[in-house]
Amino acid sequence: MRTVYKVLAYFVAIEVAVQAMAAVWAIAGLGKWVEGGGVVDKALMESEGMPFPEVAGFIVHGINGTFVIPGIALLLLITSFFARVRGAIKWAVIVFVLVVVQGQLGFLGHEITAVAALHGLNALALFGTALYAARRMRTAAPSTVSPPEERVETPV
Amino acid sequence: MSSIKLPRTLRVALPFLATLAILAPLTWMWHASRLPAAYSVMDMGYPDYGGVQPDLSMAGHAHHQLGHPFVPRRSITDLIADPTRPADVRVDLVARQQQPTGGASLAQYTLNGTSPGPEIHAIRGQLVEVHLRNESVTAGVTLHWHGLDVPNAMDGVAGVTQDAVPVGGAFTYRFVADQAGSFWYHSHQVSNPQVAGGLFGSLVVRPRSVVTQQLDVSAIAHTYAGVRTINGKAEDLQVPARGGERARVRIANTDNGPMEVWSSGPYRLLAIDGSDVHRPSEVSGRSLTLTSGGRADLEVTVPTDGTAARVQVSKAVAVITGPMGARTPVPPQPAEDLDLLTYGSPAPLRFDPAHAMRRFDYVIGRRPGFVRGRPGMWWSINGHLYPNVPMFVVREGDVAVVHIENRSGEVHPMHLHGHHMVILARDGVRATGSPWWVDSLNVAGNESYDVAFQANNPGIWMDHCHNLKHAAQGMVAHLMYEGLDTPYRIAGPAENRPE
Repeated sequence: MRTVYKVLAYFVAIEVAVQAMAAVWAIAGLGKWVEGGGVVDKALMESEGMPFPEVAGFIVHGINGTFVIPGIALLLLITSFFARVRGAIKWAVIVFVLVVVQGQLGFLGHEITAVAALHGLNALALFGTALYAARRMRTAAPSTVSPPEERVETPV
Repeated sequence: MSSIKLPRTLRVALPFLATLAILAPLTWMWHASRLPAAYSVMDMGYPDYGGVQPDLSMAGHAHHQLGHPFVPRRSITDLIADPTRPADVRVDLVARQQQPTGGASLAQYTLNGTSPGPEIHAIRGQLVEVHLRNESVTAGVTLHWHGLDVPNAMDGVAGVTQDAVPVGGAFTYRFVADQAGSFWYHSHQVSNPQVAGGLFGSLVVRPRSVVTQQLDVSAIAHTYAGVRTINGKAEDLQVPARGGERARVRIANTDNGPMEVWSSGPYRLLAIDGSDVHRPSEVSGRSLTLTSGGRADLEVTVPTDGTAARVQVSKAVAVITGPMGARTPVPPQPAEDLDLLTYGSPAPLRFDPAHAMRRFDYVIGRRPGFVRGRPGMWWSINGHLYPNVPMFVVREGDVAVVHIENRSGEVHPMHLHGHHMVILARDGVRATGSPWWVDSLNVAGNESYDVAFQANNPGIWMDHCHNLKHAAQGMVAHLMYEGLDTPYRIAGPAENRPE
């Protein structure tokens, strides 16, 4: 279970990186499209087509953020119950909460753009937390297998 | 955790219990959101009587909620135009599906081989008869007469007012075009991909009286696969005209989002959504937000200096009225919008909203949950997700006031079928201009509107977001008249999927 936990936590971190790349790639495509004389309005954004290929970045960002990352974070949380490592649950909960907050900031950012900036900041917090949750598994000792007096202290 | 001494059995069971505590509610929510293989809109959600005690002897709504199975109810299939009256305008439309080849052929769907389909013309008061045949649209088709208050059985909503017309099938629509103005028609079966793919056309009803403009231009704006067009062409629409001539430019937005309309010179907004503006004044330096499904009729005058009058339909395309070859630069997009709340002069309404019998809320939100068994961030109506949405119930002759409030942070073009809504106030500020009648209302994020309508067209009517993607995501409620029922079902053997 510790390996599963570690892999899932790494997945969250990787997905956050993918999200950042997808968003910036899409915005760059949008800029290039406008630079070339393309016109963007809500009607275009809501149309079925892809006026420029980087639109895929927005789609990836949306699907990842709404479904994939919350799904992984949920699996991480469930895995943490079985990991039997001190702090595993705590860090999985923190990752999960940051994912929920990240989603809310993302949707709210459509209306209040300053919140979108916090979405970018929270992404760094989530990335760091997920990475830490994964890495601490390398040194963590099982919390229940060994008797308390033989327990190895884990950082944090 | 390890510092707390727990019995061994509990220690083993605890992770499983915690997992169950997370998964059980999710599974229950998922299960509850699944829809049956066929269902009636009458069984959807809950009735909202708008503060009026329901007349249970006439209770039309809800096979389940009210449970009056023996009360005879009138079928909406009876709500048709006079069947003995001969048609004044006859149109045959053949729907086809094709592989878009790009370039001149952007559409996935055509009517009589073109997209947009042929423009239908009628004079006010004429009976229009449209014979629709589906040659090859595999998912089936219907036609909805957007903005015209047709009899309910002719409204063209698959699964509510008819079954989708399958390949090889046909359906005849008959209605009296009793309002002069600009309208459009489109499929209301699997409507998001079908409308986006080109299954629509323009419908213009002219008044019996003489019109004052020398030119009458229809410009139906649509984005095919990311390409903005007017009347199906990804280029400006050139209309030859002499200096001093006046043109009525009818613009329809058939996309899922609003677009901006402005002009190189002054313009007058003659009508919005097919309803005349009372005493429209001349507008300069203002952009008009034309919402999804909405129409705007602008009057422009061709300049006498050899240039053309240019009406921008977004920055991408324009209607250019003037001498052939006249060069008129693209006018910059005005920063300010034309506010229809104060535009034109007041005029008496056909009814008094102050004496509204019914008051409804239509509060749009967004929240996580399951719809049709799928997780996501979904649009909510009055806090509920599809299909647990309100069924607004009225009685014929009622005046109803609806408070539309958008808390979702995204714009929603709200479209009520079969009726016209008049705007009373926006964000609590009362309307002081011309009566502002709409069938498609642009409700921006965090905006609220108070609108009123008269219940004078019995039936079961959709009241939904005309961002058809949002409709497909469940942003659909209905308005129904007491004592009515529909024999049609969503899904089922006819595979009716109105959104």
